[in-house]
Amino acid sequence: MSEKSAKKYTELSNKERMALSFQEMSLIAPEERIQNFEEVPIGYSLEEAIAEAKRCIQCKKPDCVDGCPVGINIPAFIKLIENGEMAEAAKKIREKNFLPAACGRVCHQDKQCQAVCVVGKKKEPVGIGNLERYAADYERQHNTLELPEIPPSTGKRIAIVGAGPAGLTCAYELRIRGHEVVVFEAFHRAGGVLVYGIPRFRLPMEIIDEDIEFLEKIGVKFVYNMIIGKILSLDDLLEQEGFDAVFVASGAGLPKMLDIPGVNANGVYSANEYLTRVYLMQADKFPEYSTPLYQGKKVAVIGAGNTAMDVLRTAKRLGADTTCYYRRSREEAPARTEELEHAEQEFLNWRWLANPVEFIVDENNFVTQIKCEKMELSDPDTSGRRKPLPTGEFFTEDVDTVVLSLGCDVNPMIPATDKGVKINKWGIIIVDEETCQTTKRGVFAGGDAITGGATVILAMGQAKTAAKAIDQYVRG
Amino acid sequence: MPKIIDIIINRLKSEDEESISLALDKIEQLTDVTDADKIALASSLTQLFYRDHVGMSEMISLANRAEKQITRFGSVLIPFLIDELVNSDAESCAHLGRVIAVNGANAITPLLDAWNKKRADQYALINLTQALAYFRIPEVLQTLPEMLIAAGSDNFQLSSNAINAIGKLVVRIDPNLFDEALRQQMFDASFSHLSDSHSLVRMQAARTLGKLMEKGLLTNAQQEKLRAAYSAILGKDENNDWDDAYIVRHEAKRYLPLLKTTPTSVAHYQQSFRIISKRELCAKTFHYIIEAPLIARKLQAGQFIIIRPHEFSERIPLSICGWDSEKGEIEVVIMSAGKTTVQMNEMNEGDCFKDIVGPLGERSHVRRYRGTCVVIGGGFGTGAIIPTARDLKALGSRVIGVVGARSKELLIMVDELEAVCDEVIVTTNDGSAGIQGFVTNALEQIIKDEQRVSHVLAIGPVPMMQAVCELTRPIGIETMVSLNALMVDGTGMCGACRVSIDGETKFACFHGPDFDGHKVDFDQLTKRQKMFVAEEKQALETL
Repeated sequence: MSEKSAKKYTELSNKERMALSFQEMSLIAPEERIQNFEEVPIGYSLEEAIAEAKRCIQCKKPDCVDGCPVGINIPAFIKLIENGEMAEAAKKIREKNFLPAACGRVCHQDKQCQAVCVVGKKKEPVGIGNLERYAADYERQHNTLELPEIPPSTGKRIAIVGAGPAGLTCAYELRIRGHEVVVFEAFHRAGGVLVYGIPRFRLPMEIIDEDIEFLEKIGVKFVYNMIIGKILSLDDLLEQEGFDAVFVASGAGLPKMLDIPGVNANGVYSANEYLTRVYLMQADKFPEYSTPLYQGKKVAVIGAGNTAMDVLRTAKRLGADTTCYYRRSREEAPARTEELEHAEQEFLNWRWLANPVEFIVDENNFVTQIKCEKMELSDPDTSGRRKPLPTGEFFTEDVDTVVLSLGCDVNPMIPATDKGVKINKWGIIIVDEETCQTTKRGVFAGGDAITGGATVILAMGQAKTAAKAIDQYVRG
Repeated sequence: MPKIIDIIINRLKSEDEESISLALDKIEQLTDVTDADKIALASSLTQLFYRDHVGMSEMISLANRAEKQITRFGSVLIPFLIDELVNSDAESCAHLGRVIAVNGANAITPLLDAWNKKRADQYALINLTQALAYFRIPEVLQTLPEMLIAAGSDNFQLSSNAINAIGKLVVRIDPNLFDEALRQQMFDASFSHLSDSHSLVRMQAARTLGKLMEKGLLTNAQQEKLRAAYSAILGKDENNDWDDAYIVRHEAKRYLPLLKTTPTSVAHYQQSFRIISKRELCAKTFHYIIEAPLIARKLQAGQFIIIRPHEFSERIPLSICGWDSEKGEIEVVIMSAGKTTVQMNEMNEGDCFKDIVGPLGERSHVRRYRGTCVVIGGGFGTGAIIPTARDLKALGSRVIGVVGARSKELLIMVDELEAVCDEVIVTTNDGSAGIQGFVTNALEQIIKDEQRVSHVLAIGPVPMMQAVCELTRPIGIETMVSLNALMVDGTGMCGACRVSIDGETKFACFHGPDFDGHKVDFDQLTKRQKMFVAEEKQALETL
């Protein structure tokens, strides 16, 4: 169907819209996809996108917009897709979100916009994430992205610490307000968790690269190999280097480990280490790329969040027999529904209600077995959550690699090197909720550095709040 | 029968636009025109430049067509055109300037000759300056000294014209061709005229300065001066006294906001990581001095860096054995052990490492000790003890160095260590130099000989550090070791470098690399270091 003919739609009634069925996004078959790192969902076709867009009933008071951490005008962009105005739809999304291709893929729509979708009260909610991805991909494939006009420089300079989702968003928001922005990144490339933490089969590298290129084109400067706190302190940036403000978006880079015997065994990784080796350092291409990965035949992944799903599916693609161990049941698994479902299609093993108590090692300290205690769930407590309770029953299974995916604490580098930046008892940087300003004057923070491990879109939402406050701050 | 050329020339004199247009058509068709005819035609064509075109828009396009035809006749016309130029009026001067400038470098010497001849004729100089403003070739810079002088003329028209021409050149010529001295002269010549009594001169000065800034030809200090000047013109400073000429304020208003857009340079954050010198210390082991000014400025004893030599490489953590913050250089010792270190040692002076991150880790535990401090280096760890030894000595402690190696040929950095210690003892396993035996033999001797040993630092292979700790543990001497655990990121993000310290898991990259040796689980460290033995062997085989 051409774009033109797509425009000849006939207006449907809400009843008719509600009767339309959800457009499933096609996936590469599990047997095929576990052989490579290609993206799994292949995206809507034009027809599918328009058919899905028709399901939106264009609520007068759209709850989905409130459910979006960056407040995208969701009904408006879906209407544009329905009308076949794809480039306009992308533009509409970009009014609030400059990483639509990434967010369409990795956002927790099932806990945000789609969770409150009115259509979802009776049927499958509108596939907002799928549609966002469609519009963003259309924009990339048809090159319809226009560079925003940058107002004359304000002459104010802002340093951004960390080139992850929060840092990139804040850089964008400040640049389009006419400020000079320099992003300092510790690694040799930008993207942060999008690169080192999210697998290529969920987020292809070209998408990240294009977003970085976009920022470079509008005049954001990037400097790599710079660990702020070490090579330059916050005071260096504010005094000697002449920055008017600093935005700290150094992420949640401190992996949580278990305090059980064998946790330091050979073959036991944090999810951060495992994924960084594979995706940032490209250990999957070892030995062409020199970073090694001790990849065993039987991999145990501890945890059931999104990152755990990423590790499970990565290990599977690297050829291992892979098992998930989680101390609660599937119901409580914190992973995004879609990730969990995709993982379940990929021939993995699942040990729900299994709490690791020991990693058994051989004489060379290599892990050989995992010992777990079987758990059962309590009745819901006052908070409504069902707690895992030990049963006293144990089981052991052979493994030669264990990956701990238990979340992260805040990267301690900045608070450890600048006592003016105060943290709470969990190591999280304390900020004013309205402005994201830290306890140090001129220093703002956002993303996982102030939440201790959340999502890409939440980090972006905070970065926008911070950008607004930084803008006001530097303009005096 | 009249020649075609004469007919054309006659038609060009016509008052009728149609006739002129037809004549121009004819000229366009002419081929094989003699030089004499070219000059004859040009002298008629240039007359079109003087025609009154008010209310006759057709005349403008005819003059432009005339320009095109003159251009077609080439450089033979240069002397004629220059003669015309010096006497031309304001508007024809622009036409003539353009047709001369098309000739590029060929026209420069004749123009300078004309300048010399007409030096006393300010009217001629005004026209010459205007013509020079149309050149786009680097050779035109030969005329810049004359224009700088003209800019200082008492004649406000010559002065403003010259300043304007300088501004034009700044826009039209590759900015890199203006050297520092020239930039300064252009800035000074223009800046001094911001207070000229004539508003036209002030306007041109403000505009040319704006162009210099736009092209990035001003230093930070000059930009600051200019910012203050523009602010003053606009009455935005404390004097609250704006320039009374709108045209001057107009320029200031246009360029003041741009002044702030001078793109933030990040050049000084880009370190080259170039190998300044490479020296073989012993077989497979080299000492490097590397350009890394930002890292050198912040390094402290005991800290380390991570190098990624190539795009395909893994990240290799390395101890630092020295630095020069003035020169912006750091020193490391690299021993070929696996694929990546072998590849690093294949690099030579002048080569650049792809990435270096640092400084990483915490500073060594250093304070003034009453008793003797012993710094022990084993194998290629010897370099790493030098900075800490220097700090201990600088704080007034007595420092004895101990260097151990299997044999004499493998001893490294002994001279450098001697320079920062009170005394250095060498041990070799085979006795080929110093005491035969291990570093622990030397340490035992020192403990016996010295009144009191307060502090020991050991850096080297794990068995050596472990042996030192076993020796000092029963007698309670504070002993620090630097742990070379496996690492990936080096900032505490991955946990590859986990070590057990007193039963508690610590990250060597972030909490270390120095730890209390008596609390380290060396057994686990030894085994963890062997995690990738098979992969390392496989990688090495690809070389």
